[in-house]
Amino acid sequence: MAIGTNDNILEFRNVTKRFAGVTALSDVSFEIQRGEIHGLCGENGAGKSTLMKILAGVYPAGTYEGTVLYDGRELKLENSSIRQAADEGIAIVYQELTLVPSMTVGENIYLGKEPVEHGVINWDKLYADTKQLLEQYNLDISAQATLGDLGVGKMQMTEIAKAISENARVLILDEPTSALTEAEVDKLMEILETLKAHGVTCIYITHKLEEFFHITDTITVLRDGKVITSQPTEDLDREMLVNHMVGREMKERFPQGNHKAGKVVLEVDDLHAVDPRTEREVVRGVSFELREGEILGIAGLMGSGRTELVTTIFGEYGKITRGAVRLDGKPIVVKNSKQAMEYGISLVPEDRKTHGLVLIQSVLKNISLPNLGRFSSMFSINNDAELKESMSYAHSLSIKAPNLHVPVESLSGGNQQKVVISKWLMSEPHILILDDPTRGIDVGAKYEIYKLMNELAAQGIAIIMISSELEEVMGMSDRIMVMHEGRAAGIIDAADATQEKIMALATGTVVKEKPVIPAEPAKAIGK
Amino acid sequence: MSSVSTTTSEPPDGAGSPISTITNALRANLQTYALIVATLVIWLYFSSQTNGNFLSPQNFSNLFRQMVITGFLSVGMVLVIVTGNIDLSVGKLAGFVSVVVAAVQANYLTQMFPEQGILIAVLSVLVGLGIGMLYGVIQGYIIAYMGVTSFIVTLGSMWLLNGLILLVTEGRTIPANQSDFSQIAQGYLPEAVGWIIAVVVIVWLFYSMFRSRSRKRRYNFELPPLALDVAKTAVFSFLMLAYVYMVNQYKGIQAPVLILGLVAIGVSYLSSNTRFGRYAYAIGGNRQAAKFSGVNIRRNIFLIFTSMGLLSGVSGVTLASYVGYGTISAGQGYELDAIAACILGGTSTLGGTGTVLGAMVGSLIMVSLTNGLQMTNTPAAWQYVLKGLVLVIAVYADVRIKRSNT
Repeated sequence: MAIGTNDNILEFRNVTKRFAGVTALSDVSFEIQRGEIHGLCGENGAGKSTLMKILAGVYPAGTYEGTVLYDGRELKLENSSIRQAADEGIAIVYQELTLVPSMTVGENIYLGKEPVEHGVINWDKLYADTKQLLEQYNLDISAQATLGDLGVGKMQMTEIAKAISENARVLILDEPTSALTEAEVDKLMEILETLKAHGVTCIYITHKLEEFFHITDTITVLRDGKVITSQPTEDLDREMLVNHMVGREMKERFPQGNHKAGKVVLEVDDLHAVDPRTEREVVRGVSFELREGEILGIAGLMGSGRTELVTTIFGEYGKITRGAVRLDGKPIVVKNSKQAMEYGISLVPEDRKTHGLVLIQSVLKNISLPNLGRFSSMFSINNDAELKESMSYAHSLSIKAPNLHVPVESLSGGNQQKVVISKWLMSEPHILILDDPTRGIDVGAKYEIYKLMNELAAQGIAIIMISSELEEVMGMSDRIMVMHEGRAAGIIDAADATQEKIMALATGTVVKEKPVIPAEPAKAIGK
Repeated sequence: MSSVSTTTSEPPDGAGSPISTITNALRANLQTYALIVATLVIWLYFSSQTNGNFLSPQNFSNLFRQMVITGFLSVGMVLVIVTGNIDLSVGKLAGFVSVVVAAVQANYLTQMFPEQGILIAVLSVLVGLGIGMLYGVIQGYIIAYMGVTSFIVTLGSMWLLNGLILLVTEGRTIPANQSDFSQIAQGYLPEAVGWIIAVVVIVWLFYSMFRSRSRKRRYNFELPPLALDVAKTAVFSFLMLAYVYMVNQYKGIQAPVLILGLVAIGVSYLSSNTRFGRYAYAIGGNRQAAKFSGVNIRRNIFLIFTSMGLLSGVSGVTLASYVGYGTISAGQGYELDAIAACILGGTSTLGGTGTVLGAMVGSLIMVSLTNGLQMTNTPAAWQYVLKGLVLVIAVYADVRIKRSNT
């Protein structure tokens, strides 16, 4: 499979990258051959993204140790040089889309490099070029379509087309399939093959292991910032890959909890809900019960409706069209977050920057925001009591901050997440919903959050935890509900759970040797 | 696995060492202090250009009186901008209130209650405040509950109110010069009352400083050094005494300035010490996060526009009392002065930051510029040019300072 030359387009030599207190990459060395599809594999926080950010110029030369050779010479990108990386022929397709939804496909692809004649944009040329580009890669997208009207899959394709239009020689795909349906994934695989035939080198990052075996020529595994192995895909199998990735028993990663599930506190019965704006059904029949003192994990791909489900229960998203939510046996209707808090339900939202925190405000004001009621009478807030109690939570969660008056945006991701958790713990919930609570935070902070979850469960709090990481959901949960296209595809005991079982439920497939099967055309993607 | 090592780190704390406390306090209020210094520099400059006339007791007194009408508008505008909204209608609303008050007074009240000056004045005020607040309620409802952006609603209001002003005045100037009513904006307090107010304020400043310290001690917080607290309070006390001394050289404390002071202190307290105020800042900082934290965004924005309407009413009443009549050009352009004062005072147009105190100092700077340029006989054209430049340069300087701090 691998191209039989030693001609490397990229070589990492002893690359080390440190952040304050954390070593993200440690002495990383490996090669990427010209024209191959190179899989980069590792858990969240293993260093994949850091490595790719070096290639993109986000971390410019000089901020890391070691050298990166690009096409035989040292790659020296300067500060804020994403443009420069593109000029060098390195393009990145990020997991989060970086397109403008109100613009057309053509405008998006040529944004910042529009064909100009005498200072005026030549729209005919722009759309003709776009059309040609799209046809070349067999993409069924109209150049003049408004991007926001397209599904996530086509947006992702547009993003890739944009990268290719820069004459990319190295294309980096960072979890491009997490939001795609299987049919779209197949399409993407086709495009990658075409690109390969055109001599473009691809670096492919994904959390779906099957895709590595489906598409890559070589796989490099990173763990805790170190290269564990870098070898041809044909020499590896799934089990070896997982061992390389995890490298330790699960027991070490997740603190042992002592959960004693008590009485049922929350029952969700055949819940259906629609997006209030589009009237599209996003939760399509979910039933489960939650007991005090247990952790219920929710697994599912992005767009499976898991975030929609919990924000609907919290009263901040969907309009319930059918089904019921019962708290301690009594039906409740939660209209907004304030009511949810009155019922003792708290939600740590998925995206701490958009939903969790007021970034420009102090740690103190963020922690106390939902809890001001307890410190205030009609006409005053007891600032001292507010500070006292916020400090006690900051202490018990070991938030690292010079003091509580610094803006929360100055803290690291892990500490920001602890601030979000503090603010919701202070509201003393009976039911705590954590939506992907360890996303993008370092290993140490993760472990602390796991310990905290176990402590809370031991106190009798019922916890729902959504997680994108299979190991996490298996390591922390007592039971796991797997969601697929807005439905609860199944609930399994953690003791019986395997990655294969969860993935099969999450993708709606039957477990077979070759799991990529075109599913029915699915539309229920995105939020 | 990397072990959990956070316990060794410095515990998070409400305060740090005494020195860092001082520098933190300075940094947090840097903007306000810089503004106060800028005001003093402007005063000294104009004073030197006018042989000291600029800081003569009479002009000093007028300076503060002149800032009152847009001052009321700035107090409300701070909160509007903090929530990420804007209100372009306040100038015309104040103007409308002033003509209605004049019309009601001239056409009805003076005939219905001849010889009952106080009653006429009180009723005039109530009518003015009522109209302002009612308009705020309507406008707030449309913005908060019907979801039309504040820029559009208040731009529409600006034209609508201009039309209403023409309808009420029929193009004429209506007198509003009942003598008790005129006292609102033209009255002065006797010298002795001025000193009593100064003493009360100073006693209150020291009392609240010690109360705050004893409360902090009860919660076992580290206290800032006593000397620092005393020095800070002493500086404010000195400013208070200096102010009263100056105005007493002329006619005494100006009634409208006293009202503005009370309103500004009230709103300032509301903005930092109640849920209503805190929520406004949270909404402006991150609307989504505020929503997820149980903040009733609609109600908050509705209340803010309602209070903006009420303050426009206060401003309109003061305007009628100040000039003694209602006229078609009443309130023309005041909304922009109010917005400029907020922005000069450090309110971010992006929302989430800004203080009433800052806006007051911003107002004072704007008025000082206008007044000083007039006294130095600067042609009107250049007055506009300079004011425009000052606004942009001040904001640019602010941006630079913030960038170098981070």
